[in-house]
Amino acid sequence: MNFTENDIRRITFETINELGSNAAPDVVKEAVRKKVEASTTAPFDAVKKDSISGRVILTSFGLNKPGIVAAITTALGNANCDIQDLSQKILVDFFTMIMIVDITNSKKDLKEIQEEMYKTAASLNIKIYLQHEDVFRYMHRV
Amino acid sequence: MNYDFSEILETIRMTEIEHFDIRTVTLGISLRDCHDRSLEVTKQKIYDKILRYGKLHVKNAKEVEAQYGISIANKRVSVTPISIPFDSFKMDDFVEIAKTLDKAAEEIGIDYIAGFSALVQKGMTNGERELIKAIPYALSQTKRVCSSVNIGSTKAGINMDAVNMMADAIKLAAELTKEKDSIGCAKLVVFANAVEDNPFVAGAFHGISEPEVVLNVGISGPGVVLDAIKEAGNVDLQQLSEVIKKTIYKITRAGELIGRKVAEKNGVPFGIVDISLAPTPAEGDSIADILKAMGVEDVGAPGTTAALAMLNDSVKKAGLMASSSVGGMSGAFIPVSEDMGMIRAVQAGNLSLEKLEAMTAVCSVGLDMIAIPGDTPASTIAGIIADEAAIGIINDKTTAVRIIPAYGKKVGEMVDYGGLLGLAPVMEVRNLSSKGFVGRGGKIPAPMRSLTN
Repeated sequence: MNFTENDIRRITFETINELGSNAAPDVVKEAVRKKVEASTTAPFDAVKKDSISGRVILTSFGLNKPGIVAAITTALGNANCDIQDLSQKILVDFFTMIMIVDITNSKKDLKEIQEEMYKTAASLNIKIYLQHEDVFRYMHRV
Repeated sequence: MNYDFSEILETIRMTEIEHFDIRTVTLGISLRDCHDRSLEVTKQKIYDKILRYGKLHVKNAKEVEAQYGISIANKRVSVTPISIPFDSFKMDDFVEIAKTLDKAAEEIGIDYIAGFSALVQKGMTNGERELIKAIPYALSQTKRVCSSVNIGSTKAGINMDAVNMMADAIKLAAELTKEKDSIGCAKLVVFANAVEDNPFVAGAFHGISEPEVVLNVGISGPGVVLDAIKEAGNVDLQQLSEVIKKTIYKITRAGELIGRKVAEKNGVPFGIVDISLAPTPAEGDSIADILKAMGVEDVGAPGTTAALAMLNDSVKKAGLMASSSVGGMSGAFIPVSEDMGMIRAVQAGNLSLEKLEAMTAVCSVGLDMIAIPGDTPASTIAGIIADEAAIGIINDKTTAVRIIPAYGKKVGEMVDYGGLLGLAPVMEVRNLSSKGFVGRGGKIPAPMRSLTN
């Protein structure tokens, strides 16, 4: 991703110098390809890891009925998510629940957990939103 | 809990009900190393470079959308003004380059690519002249390419020869795309004091002092501001300014977060967040509605310019506090076709071209997405461009004209593009000639910067 033609040219020259008299075109090509691959895969892994870790905020609301909290916590538990905080209110027939959930140790990434929770929401006929904590921190904390 | 119930619900309300979204994440790509003597090689280099940096742009942006629960309306690409690296080419070659840009944009899955541009405020090179001649053909033969030309600046004055060329280009683009309501003109912007880091297409380009590649973000939240103003109720104007600032602060912060994350995923540096309030044709996502909520009966009423000035200023103040990377246009946009409130004001006869012009003196950009009768002479369009550019260079701000002389249409008829470009009623233009003035050609000298009364 970050490679420009100049980078590749530089790597090629380095490789030719390293190989010295063994620098046949095929050998150089193979060596350069390996070097490029090695350095492009590393940062991509780091980015991927970042996107699946951290705390997310789960907001759910809808008409109150039995089994909502059970359904949500079961789904989170199955995904190995850690509920760190929970706040819940019922206003007449409506319930609202906000959770802070740590998904760092989950086998699933945020996207998979979101899909799972949206299914749960559909079956209970309520709304569930899952958003990374950063967006709340950025918007409400100076 | 680290966050209040009310804070969390406020964010959810903004994103789910009030249309708060990120209007655009725009990847700026330099094409300055893509020139070759052979047109074919040049085209291949352009295509390869856009694909190399832009291949994962849409996918990465979608991942960030899901992660933060904030939708990103547009994923786009801007490139170096095409006239600069490819100055040696001729008109037909430039059309071919536009087609290459179109193909690359289609391949990476974006709807618009901007930067088929030239900067001619002081004068024109041969290549720039060829590019301007190519614009109508490029816009009619491609779907995704957007073009802009800068014809004036505070430091250089107004290049009237370029203004006249652009008026002709607009007329020709309208004619060449007449079956589609002259859509070519919706992709063509004439600037004064154009900015180099504007993420908003159609006027975006990757400026000459920008890095190899950069990611800029444009926020949008008229709906959020509208609801905050309505909720504030009957307060005085200072308090109202506070309400606007608090809201803008929050959406700018979210915008910067999203921009930085998309940039990180793309592995490119983050550039700027453009805090412009950009409306969409969606109901409630309207600058006109904000002005009405502030208290004017309709857009066009006396007081409209003052209300808009205050809105624009509050947006800037809050945005600058929220982010250290504010750039681009950063004001309120008042496109007619993309704002249901504006459309209604025009249809009701409350908003004229002249009032719109006055409004552009205090807010971002200028006469944007305005349809005028197809038989408007080029010299009148040149006069409109010159007026708008004069407002820009004298007030040291960016102004632009994106005007559509809708081919074969008369006042009161509509042009309809659907989607984000929306629909516009054809507005009346004064039937007085500008020919004697604009026809003189040459340049309007750069203005003085003192004795500014």
